[in-house]
Amino acid sequence: MQNSSTKIPAATSARLSDMIRATTLAIEANRDTINALNVFPVPDGDTGTNMLLTLRSVVEDMPLDPKESANNVAKIVARSALLGARGNSGLILAQYFKGLAEAIGEDTELTGEHLAKSIRIATTNSYKALPNPVEGTMLTVYRECAEVAEKSALANDSLESVLTDVADEALASVRRTPDLLPVLAEAEVVDSGGFGFAVMLDGALRALRGETPVGRVIEVPMPGKQKFSGSVKADFVSASEEIDWGYCTVFAIQSDSKLDLDKIRNHMDRIGRSPIVDGTDGIAKVHVHMEDPGEALTAGISYGQLSNIEIGNMDDQTAGWAADRRYSAATAAKPATPVDVAIVAVAAGDGLNDLILSSGMGAASIVEGGDTMNPSVADLLEAVEAAPSDKVILLPNNKNVVPAAKAVSELSEKDVRVVATRSVQTGIAALLEFNTTLSIDENEEAMNDVVGEVGDGRVCLASRDVTVYGHEIRKGMAFATFNDEIVAVGRDPLFVLTKMLELQAGDAEIVTIYTGESLSSEQVETATESLTNKFKELEIEVVHGGQPHYEYLVAVE
Amino acid sequence: MSIAVVTDSTSDLPPDIAAQHGISVVPLNVHIEDETYLDGVTISADEMYRRLPDRSVIPTTSAPSVGSFVEIYEKLGETHDEIISIHLSAKLSLTHGSAVNAVAEMGSSGPKIEVVNTEQASMALGWTAVQVAEAIAAGMSLEGSVELANSASERAVFIGMVDTMKYLVRGGRIGKAQGFVGSLLKIRPILTLRDGEAHPLERARSRKKGIARIKALVEEYAPLEKLAILYTTDEIDAQDIANEMASFAPDGEPVVAQLGPVVGNYAGPGMLGLGLIRSENS
Repeated sequence: MQNSSTKIPAATSARLSDMIRATTLAIEANRDTINALNVFPVPDGDTGTNMLLTLRSVVEDMPLDPKESANNVAKIVARSALLGARGNSGLILAQYFKGLAEAIGEDTELTGEHLAKSIRIATTNSYKALPNPVEGTMLTVYRECAEVAEKSALANDSLESVLTDVADEALASVRRTPDLLPVLAEAEVVDSGGFGFAVMLDGALRALRGETPVGRVIEVPMPGKQKFSGSVKADFVSASEEIDWGYCTVFAIQSDSKLDLDKIRNHMDRIGRSPIVDGTDGIAKVHVHMEDPGEALTAGISYGQLSNIEIGNMDDQTAGWAADRRYSAATAAKPATPVDVAIVAVAAGDGLNDLILSSGMGAASIVEGGDTMNPSVADLLEAVEAAPSDKVILLPNNKNVVPAAKAVSELSEKDVRVVATRSVQTGIAALLEFNTTLSIDENEEAMNDVVGEVGDGRVCLASRDVTVYGHEIRKGMAFATFNDEIVAVGRDPLFVLTKMLELQAGDAEIVTIYTGESLSSEQVETATESLTNKFKELEIEVVHGGQPHYEYLVAVE
Repeated sequence: MSIAVVTDSTSDLPPDIAAQHGISVVPLNVHIEDETYLDGVTISADEMYRRLPDRSVIPTTSAPSVGSFVEIYEKLGETHDEIISIHLSAKLSLTHGSAVNAVAEMGSSGPKIEVVNTEQASMALGWTAVQVAEAIAAGMSLEGSVELANSASERAVFIGMVDTMKYLVRGGRIGKAQGFVGSLLKIRPILTLRDGEAHPLERARSRKKGIARIKALVEEYAPLEKLAILYTTDEIDAQDIANEMASFAPDGEPVVAQLGPVVGNYAGPGMLGLGLIRSENS
């Protein structure tokens, strides 16, 4: 397989650095187009910017010494890509560089086979990294490129020949993305991140061939005879503007009978914006932007049982809130006394922060972050490095933060264990298992055990008038989810909470209720009194959480 | 030649067991406002727990006076040649010191007295005294008894799940369990005595979970030579644990014992726990 005439010799591994620099220049030349293509998962027009910023952080860290071997360059690049990763596209991009480092391994020269291997590793890791991998995105482009690269490398191991085949396939794959992801077809675009990857490959190839300029404007590969207009379809734009202050609502519908996906899609289209509905006979996955998510959930219930509900608020003000309150681990960390095992937990809300610190027995620190502002790998890493021990247990407290937390455990020199807590209330339950007299192994095991035993409840308010169960209800009404299933909709958060507890807390040993920042002290008092009177058999504790979005967060143990 | 066994009221020995083994129990003092009571003698445990939650009154406790030890040693000296006096952890109380001073006070005039600091409390101490009394009844010497008292107290375990740390904190007996204090969430700390002072074992989120842990601890410490289930106010819960854990007691019947006013002053209402001695082979 080795063909010495086609390798980049170790002495000129600077060419690998040149290729990586070229990908940056290529993205720079096409950034606005990539931004304009961005409609999924959120049409916020930042894919190109995110990819560029991720690549820039890579280039900044790249060793300047031309004698540096290719494998060392790849290792450094992999680490800085992961640390500098911005947004979803940045994180997936980082997987590519991680794959590159793994593929080269201890070899000092880069071959076509390495390239094929690197894209394959990137594919596998990216599918794992995302909680809900979606086809018609960068993931698909990676996967299809990996297949072509592997075939190409078998035929000819030359880096140039494999890279040429892959660059062609990337564009072809991007062209097919609207067939796989309806929201792209609707907006008359192709996948932005996938296109970004194709652009990078073009830049790398031009650098390898010594062509200039390495970064050139690439025409967007559109399906059929379409041409990219330079922006998303006009009515999609107006819809996006409206949904900017709405909720991205995602859930699954399960039914014993066959689900009519077209009918559900039409229904969602009538009540919300940009619905994506796909699935098989018994399960439909719905993604829809709603002014009020309750309406979509109510509509969903008419088709079957709901599960895996995720509601994200894309409100600018909310993002601003999170940004204001987010402070780096360095400023949050007090000069702490060394401990045997330290805990780093992600949380948003003054009450939740206090609860975590007070329950952490001097070993806990906090990284600020919540549903709308997930902390980056770098934020988490910084907190882990600042923690007063070489052994750290990391509690992501949100299922979307779990991949970033796992990345930290790979990046840090410290012994970092991730207990995959899916919510802050689960995280606190896990934290209470923490025992300063036990080893990190024993603590990790005890905390993992409790994670599976906690029932996860949330109550939040509808923000405007909606229809629920066929009744017109007004702004301020509430719905409750329990373990990602909707369990109650009603007029009053406390009523809905009570309903949830009636249904889900019958044999509970303890119920902890964290009250949100929007509740007044009178509301909290009323809730505490009413719940303790109603559920005399239950051990109930109501505490101030101060979290945004949710009137109540509930842990049922 | 006969040897008398003395302990103090923090052993929480049920009176019938103390009587059965001929163990003399010296009461500590409980001070509530201007009144002084003798632990378990002039104030009952139930009375103590009725008054404990009253925030305006913080009871305190004190060691038996040197004089009260002299008195009982002299009385026992009328019928015995030797005395073994087995006591509460010296880190928690001056009781042991008081007994040692009493012996010094008496000089060589009375019976030969050995004083033992068990670094234990409650039935972990109580069972140590019982084992020594049993061995003496079977013919063990004073020297052997002291050795046994030391080895038994090393194998003895006190476990207490408290409803709140506040009684331990306000009584100044927090020891190494400081980390359990300050949690804004209600937790049920499970404590033990290690090196003679309070030591955090674990914390349970609910009473039910805590009770499950107490039962699991019985299994972890098995095989056992002695087992008592301890409580301050919840006898029914303690009885339930005893019934479930009966097979772990050597005679199939764990003792259910109420914490006396002094130990209870630090454990508080709602406490459940264990006092046991592990087998030598365990």
